[in-house]
Amino acid sequence: MSLLGAFARLSLQRSGAVAGIAVARCLHTTPILCAEPLKKKKKLDPQIVKQREDRKKKKIEKQIRRLEKNARQLKPVDELEVPLELIDEKDKRQRKLVPLTSAQLEERALLKKQWAHYKHDERVADYQIIDRLVLAQNKALAELRRESEELYQAAIDIDPQLLPVAVKGPVATPPIKDYVSPDGDYLHQSMKWEVK
Amino acid sequence: MLRRLVQVGARELSRPQSSTASAEKWDLYAGVLVERLPVVSKSLNPLEKQFQDLLWRVEYENSLKSDHELKHEREIVQTELIKQGKIQVDLEDAGSKQTAQDLKDAYVEELKKFQLGSRTTPDDKANRTTSTDRCLDDTLYLLVQQKLGQQEHLILPQGKREEGESMRQTAERVLRESCGQELQVLFYGNAPVGFHKYKYPRNQRTESVGAKVFFYRASLRSGQVPENLTKFEWLPKEALNGKLTNAAYAESVKKFLL
Repeated sequence: MSLLGAFARLSLQRSGAVAGIAVARCLHTTPILCAEPLKKKKKLDPQIVKQREDRKKKKIEKQIRRLEKNARQLKPVDELEVPLELIDEKDKRQRKLVPLTSAQLEERALLKKQWAHYKHDERVADYQIIDRLVLAQNKALAELRRESEELYQAAIDIDPQLLPVAVKGPVATPPIKDYVSPDGDYLHQSMKWEVK
Repeated sequence: MLRRLVQVGARELSRPQSSTASAEKWDLYAGVLVERLPVVSKSLNPLEKQFQDLLWRVEYENSLKSDHELKHEREIVQTELIKQGKIQVDLEDAGSKQTAQDLKDAYVEELKKFQLGSRTTPDDKANRTTSTDRCLDDTLYLLVQQKLGQQEHLILPQGKREEGESMRQTAERVLRESCGQELQVLFYGNAPVGFHKYKYPRNQRTESVGAKVFFYRASLRSGQVPENLTKFEWLPKEALNGKLTNAAYAESVKKFLL
């Protein structure tokens, strides 16, 4: 009883205000009291442990090796490989042409120079057109801004409808009206490549 | 790009508004340049043709013989040998076999039968300027007849801006009103590509001094202007100058033509 009294006093001291009604509640047990003696650890033969680890290591190494081997094997691109028959029959397939005369060579060189000049002039003309268009647009925008800032802001807004843009380029001959294209067969030729 | 635009916009908003108000009042108009882009590529000029021939020649010189050519050569040698009586003709084989030359003839025949689309159209010959199916290798621009003051003029479709519209919206409305609903076009962005201004005649000036026209570029997707709606023409660049009677207007338009 004296022990209980001592505890009660202790709790009173701590909380101060609480009276000794809940004496039992102030008793706390710690996890240590719930503990039980440890199980004995099973001892393994160190040799077996070592064997197991080795086996694990070997397995991973094997996987790495396999991956590395496959990493070097790229999917072949048929289009980039020269067909073997072309390599074998190269001599047979070479054209036997009369070598060009110096006059012909000269003519070709001249034509190439002429072509370079022509393309240069064309390019310069293109740049001039672009400059002219940019100038015209800048002038229009400046004039619009002078009239109204609001309209100018609306004009320089990005137009999201423009993307994605689809353009059908000019072709050599126009499409034939009501042309029914002859049917063909669909042959799927591409090879399937798998990692072994 | 966007950030720069925003920066510019912010700077402009903070600018005092008084500087934007002009002393004279001008009417704002939107004009639309509708272009029909080329359908076929340009014909080659003599130099281009010459250079293309050279490229094809070089391509041929650097190429190797094809299977077809090898077969053809083999067969020529064989027939030569048969003629000389050095080898026997295999009768069974000879009838059924198709030589490379036969194949080639068949291919040529098939190609001859196929009719490519013509680069010139009936409308080219009839010179029907209201048709978009002509001058296939050139860009065509749309001109419509419009009343300016008392007179009718053949100009790019244009119309006055109404309150609350942006210039782009005006341009779209103007095109709908002057060319009908069927004409499907794609506008190239919100910004005008060209500008033209003119003053009204002195006796017709009421509130505003003149008109400022902001041109928008649009490309034709499909459709056509209805014949009964208005008088209109589709013209290539060279013919445009002859049709635009006002020299100043023609000059302004020329600045943003390609």
